[in-house]
Amino acid sequence: MSSQKILAPYNFTAYDQKALDFIIRTFAHLEDVEITLFNTYTPVPEIDVRATPMMEKLKSNISFLSQKIKEQEEGLKTAKQKLLQNGFSASRVHYIFQPRKKDVAAEVIALAKNQNFNLIVLNSKPGKLSHFFTGNLFSKVINALKDTTVCVVS
Amino acid sequence: MGIEDKIDIDIFKLVTRAISESNNIVIMANHLTQLLVGTLGIKGCAIFILNPELKELEALASFGLSIDYMTKGPVLSDKSVGSALGKEPVIIRDVINDDRLQYPEDAKKEGIGAIASIPIMLYGKPVGALRLYHHETWDISGRDLDSLLLLSEIIGLAMVYTRNLNVLQSIKGAIDDVHPIWLKDR
Repeated sequence: MSSQKILAPYNFTAYDQKALDFIIRTFAHLEDVEITLFNTYTPVPEIDVRATPMMEKLKSNISFLSQKIKEQEEGLKTAKQKLLQNGFSASRVHYIFQPRKKDVAAEVIALAKNQNFNLIVLNSKPGKLSHFFTGNLFSKVINALKDTTVCVVS
Repeated sequence: MGIEDKIDIDIFKLVTRAISESNNIVIMANHLTQLLVGTLGIKGCAIFILNPELKELEALASFGLSIDYMTKGPVLSDKSVGSALGKEPVIIRDVINDDRLQYPEDAKKEGIGAIASIPIMLYGKPVGALRLYHHETWDISGRDLDSLLLLSEIIGLAMVYTRNLNVLQSIKGAIDDVHPIWLKDR
């Protein structure tokens, strides 16, 4: 079992790429480190599908919606591949792609606690305004976890 | 022949219900984009928040658009979709023959034929944009445009609500942190 378990929430932005580069630079040469990339998707809402033309149309488009979610998972696999191409062995890199039930911070905190991650690599774009509406991921994570190192790539 | 309306009362009910049933702005926004894509049969949909300091549109949620397209570069509010920072919607009915796009080549590569950008207003000021992307050229009926404007107003209200909820949760957290010893009578 690896002595260092790293959790890296990944959402395909340029800052997520920077965080991935940081992980490669810092940990690729260390054998005793395991990385887990983490991304969530919002499941299609449950819909009361009555026999109206619009609902029928929506029903027929559900497979398209599911296909788009699969494409998101492919993006996560590409990020995993980047780690493998840059010095990590397959046994040291994992990914978790799961439906989102609460906000991302709560998902990250629950995962870190349940699976005993001891390092979390987050990223933050300076001056980002959407935090005003969504809440700040790293302040929530830092306040909720103990005995865990949190790195913020900015 | 007039332009066909795509948005009927059933669609409106469905998307407004998705808004009212969620207290998380990201999940709500994602559901909204999924439902608009699924019911209207369009290529994609995105909701942006305007960052007036950086003059950028930050993606809050998107659906149907590729990761490459959504990460193509900063979406500048004064250059994207004919400077869609105003209070009026901007409709690009034919992407190929329109010069109001910031990333025209990326749009073509993505297979986007038309874009409708609807401002999200708060207290009379734009705070974001609801954008719908169609595979082909798109003439939006006046009635559909009215529906989308109304929907964007509801999104604006939902954004205020979730912001206030975040503030309340922060205050609750701060109050919970108050140690009972500090509240003892002196």
